[in-house]
Amino acid sequence: MAVDYNIDARLIKEKIFIALVILLSILAIVPLFHILFSVFYNGLPVLLKGGINFLTGTLPPPGEELGGIGPALVGTFVLVFLSSLIGLPIALIAGIYAAEYPTSFLGRATKLLLQIMMEFPTILVGLFVMQILVIPLGTYSAIAGAFALAIIMMPYVAVTTEEALREIPSTYREAAFSLGFSRAQVVFKVLVKIAKRGILTGVLIGLAKVAGETAPLLFTAGGSTRIYFAGIDEPIGAIPLLIYQLIQQPYENYHQIAWGASLVLMLIFLAIFIPLRLKLREVRL
Amino acid sequence: MNFMDRFKISLLPFSALVFGIFALMLLVYFTNSAEIFSREGIKIYTTNIWLASEEPEKEFYGVLAAIYGSVFTSVIAILIALPISIAYSIFVVDFAPKKIKEWLTIATDIMAGLPTIIYGIWGVFVLVPFLKTYVMEPLYNNLSFIPLFSYPPVSGYSYLSAGVLLGIMVTPFATAVIREAYKMVPFTYREAIFALGATKYEATKVIIGYIKPAIIAGMILAFGRAIGETVAVSLVIGNTFNISPSLFAPGYTISSLIANQFGNAFIYEYMVSALFAAGLSLFFIGLAINLLAFYFLRRWEESGSRL
Repeated sequence: MAVDYNIDARLIKEKIFIALVILLSILAIVPLFHILFSVFYNGLPVLLKGGINFLTGTLPPPGEELGGIGPALVGTFVLVFLSSLIGLPIALIAGIYAAEYPTSFLGRATKLLLQIMMEFPTILVGLFVMQILVIPLGTYSAIAGAFALAIIMMPYVAVTTEEALREIPSTYREAAFSLGFSRAQVVFKVLVKIAKRGILTGVLIGLAKVAGETAPLLFTAGGSTRIYFAGIDEPIGAIPLLIYQLIQQPYENYHQIAWGASLVLMLIFLAIFIPLRLKLREVRL
Repeated sequence: MNFMDRFKISLLPFSALVFGIFALMLLVYFTNSAEIFSREGIKIYTTNIWLASEEPEKEFYGVLAAIYGSVFTSVIAILIALPISIAYSIFVVDFAPKKIKEWLTIATDIMAGLPTIIYGIWGVFVLVPFLKTYVMEPLYNNLSFIPLFSYPPVSGYSYLSAGVLLGIMVTPFATAVIREAYKMVPFTYREAIFALGATKYEATKVIIGYIKPAIIAGMILAFGRAIGETVAVSLVIGNTFNISPSLFAPGYTISSLIANQFGNAFIYEYMVSALFAAGLSLFFIGLAINLLAFYFLRRWEESGSRL
């Protein structure tokens, strides 16, 4: 650092620096407020006009009424539920493994792999699941969509589980062992219960994450705008997928539905995320 | 020790399953792209040709335009994210009153988690028209002799739109890494710097230099997120096979190419394979970027533990 002994020049630099930091910081969060504003501004009238029918109805023909996003809403809940059934057990146990055996080769490798998977392009997961499930089964299906989402959910849940378990002071573990518990009992009866909140956080982050995913569903879930649920081996809708498809249509009423659906999706996300975040210091996404 | 190992072995299948899925994924990408590699060789990555034809002999695919677009838009994104995330970290840690500090962090956390399709719809209906009217058209009208601004912004869907949207989307990820590192710098360091009579600017400059590995890691992670993002980008990039130096030209990215073409790829003989090859390149770019980011994060952690 070249030291400048001219006091005035240094103070001017200081002023410019502070102004720049404030300006750039404002630029950082303006988009968030503008996005929240735009979604409410465009989505709320749609929701109010459509009423309860907007949540339960089906997609109207192009260019006419508002209809509803019922099948997509049902689909999102079905997909999140199914993907939790597949992904959560694997993720929780993989997380416990990485926490229990942090020095073993597989433990370290698991942790690294999970962190890599966390940052992985989600479209690649969709393409993969299409090739191994959709093509052999011959149709888009709820189960294929759920499997893709489960792969995306796993690293979030597993990494948070691992971190929650690692934070427990070793004295608890020692105390449990000294009572004569086996390792399985120590982990499942003592440590998991202490880390309950941390683990639950991971699960909720995982759910919030996959509820908003679009790319992995493009070639797996298939989408559905008229049929609510036809079985796990049939195509199914999802709100993000519906928004993606509607934006690309030229019809004005479809764009309105897309805004309404965005508001619903955002409210679902905020309803999970805000309470979670307020209870916690740090959340990893 | 033996009874403990039984526990280990009972957990093992689940960890193995995670590896199994990953390995299977790699296998699927390799086997499916093998066909196009044996047909075209490296040309799939080095040419910008997209000939889909009913007759298999005439088909030829080169995804260079998509690779170019992915890199171009991601570079724009981190050029935006770099100054903003550093400034925001400084603001949150040093300037912001204690009461709003927490809320400022929550704001970026929400941005990081917000479903990407919401960025997409906002990008299409708000950001693109804004950039077209207030940025692209004035620059094109006055400065079109500069190659960067040489393409007429007809629709507004362009590298710039995608890059700016990505920049907004990845800034919170970069901020999280940089802010944590900036906060970790021991208070005694700051005191020592101020004791030398440094102004805030000079002190911050020293500390920013000190956390450089964390900043690099944050940028690499942001780049990785940007290059993998699909739906928001595919809605604003214009989806055109194009290699242009101009910011205002429409283009493709690897992920938007897959999103756009995969649905109808099955009617052609080789297109599926070509798209898997494109996916494979994204796979390795993603892997390399993540390993690099972990390397820099570890370097930062090690330098931190020496304090």
